Amino acid sequence: MSAIGALEKTQLTAAQLKELLDRGEKIVLLDVRNEEEYRRWPIESRHPVRMLNIPYYQFVETPDSAVAQVPRDAPVVAVCAKGGSSAWVVEEILLPRGYRAANLEGGMQAWGRFYQPRLVPEAEPVFRIWQLERPARGCLHYLVAYGPQHREAIVIDPPRHLEAILQLVDAHQLKITHILDTHAHADHISGGVALAQKTGAPYYLHPYDGIHPIDVLPATIPYEMTKDGQTFILGQARLQVLHIPGHTLGNTALYLEGNGKRFLFSGDSIFIYSIARPDLGGRGEAWSPLHYRSLFERLLRLPDDTIVLPGHFSQPGEARSDGLFAATLAELKQRNPDLQPRSQSEFVQYMLSSLPEFPKQYIEIKRVNIGLLQPSEDYADELEFGKNVCALADAYRA
Amino acid sequence: MSAEPIDVKQELDVRGAKCPIPIIKARQEINRLQVGEVLRVVATDPGSVNDFKGWAQTAKNIELVRQEETTDSSGQRLFIHYLRRLA
Repeated sequence: MSAIGALEKTQLTAAQLKELLDRGEKIVLLDVRNEEEYRRWPIESRHPVRMLNIPYYQFVETPDSAVAQVPRDAPVVAVCAKGGSSAWVVEEILLPRGYRAANLEGGMQAWGRFYQPRLVPEAEPVFRIWQLERPARGCLHYLVAYGPQHREAIVIDPPRHLEAILQLVDAHQLKITHILDTHAHADHISGGVALAQKTGAPYYLHPYDGIHPIDVLPATIPYEMTKDGQTFILGQARLQVLHIPGHTLGNTALYLEGNGKRFLFSGDSIFIYSIARPDLGGRGEAWSPLHYRSLFERLLRLPDDTIVLPGHFSQPGEARSDGLFAATLAELKQRNPDLQPRSQSEFVQYMLSSLPEFPKQYIEIKRVNIGLLQPSEDYADELEFGKNVCALADAYRA
Repeated sequence: MSAEPIDVKQELDVRGAKCPIPIIKARQEINRLQVGEVLRVVATDPGSVNDFKGWAQTAKNIELVRQEETTDSSGQRLFIHYLRRLA
């Protein structure tokens, strides 16, 4: 069913909502969660969209004055945490009053588990690269198919919800040969270890990120260690590990080169409009100079036509018109404000004065990612509440 | 840490229920109470903590007296809300 057709129904999937948002359809997003949850984690779109927050308990208490605030000139999509309250608002309040209204099935939980794969056209025909966008959280994950018929594949920064990867693997009959995390993530739970157990492919991490920076405790997960300069031969292509400490001590970027095509999976280093913050390990001042050297003396010296595929976006508007979050190094040197020329001391001062809030669950997520903690599914959802804040503060200002 | 005991008139068990059920049922129970009496709601949805806070601010005749978090014998997290009818 198309997303437009779906608006005639009273239930909308996360995929259908994403399609409506990407097309810039005129809808009203009615978020019925409490103000705190709405403020911390609203749905975002790269097109202007009308957003309204009226908590569902206002519809319980004073339905008439609550509903009077909801516009009638466009279809309403109601959203809540898990889809129950918004379904109630649609069915008991809006539809009986003649509104065109649909409920986001599964609410923010379903939105948070939705991934959209897009092929990177520049990679063809040498590789097939899928960028998996997790719109709710601003996370980007990658599947790179290589070899004669593109039947073998590596996974970079695998997401917690493996189905997103496994669906592509099944549809394209791929065999996963390597799984790599660019670093131990603080903002989301990695699917790396679970995917390795499922597929038998080795899981790689830089050993400096195998120690929790706050707890100073070693990882209990099984992993193979990456090191600077290590090269994986992928058919005709080479994938090189670049150790770029700064965001974390074991931070890496992955440089893919083959038949004249160059891609940098930059993980949490260079983003489209920003760069990764240096303070999530609790050592912002000590790590900022490392970050400077990794960015300016290492990554920016790669060939200008290298296409950067980052680990995050901060705003949906960073996407190209085809929806991909990608740009050449030359473009980013021009338009990324954080990559403008600065001395090391200017850069350090600039970064340390540009730090967004430090979400306290990020310490816990790192514990999960190196095996110090096994969360329940509910607790994992709670830890992954909200959009990532891995970039510098300006990236999140509208 | 010990908290002041609260004189509870009515209990509402909404364990396992997702929103909006806890608040819809709590509203029905509150309506049956006399002014000044307290309803104790036992929920398992972590989202109920902020929802009961917001609801009590919105609703004219409800005071949120206290919220507690505990775990039952099976390790299930419980969120307990005490609500007083004000008018």
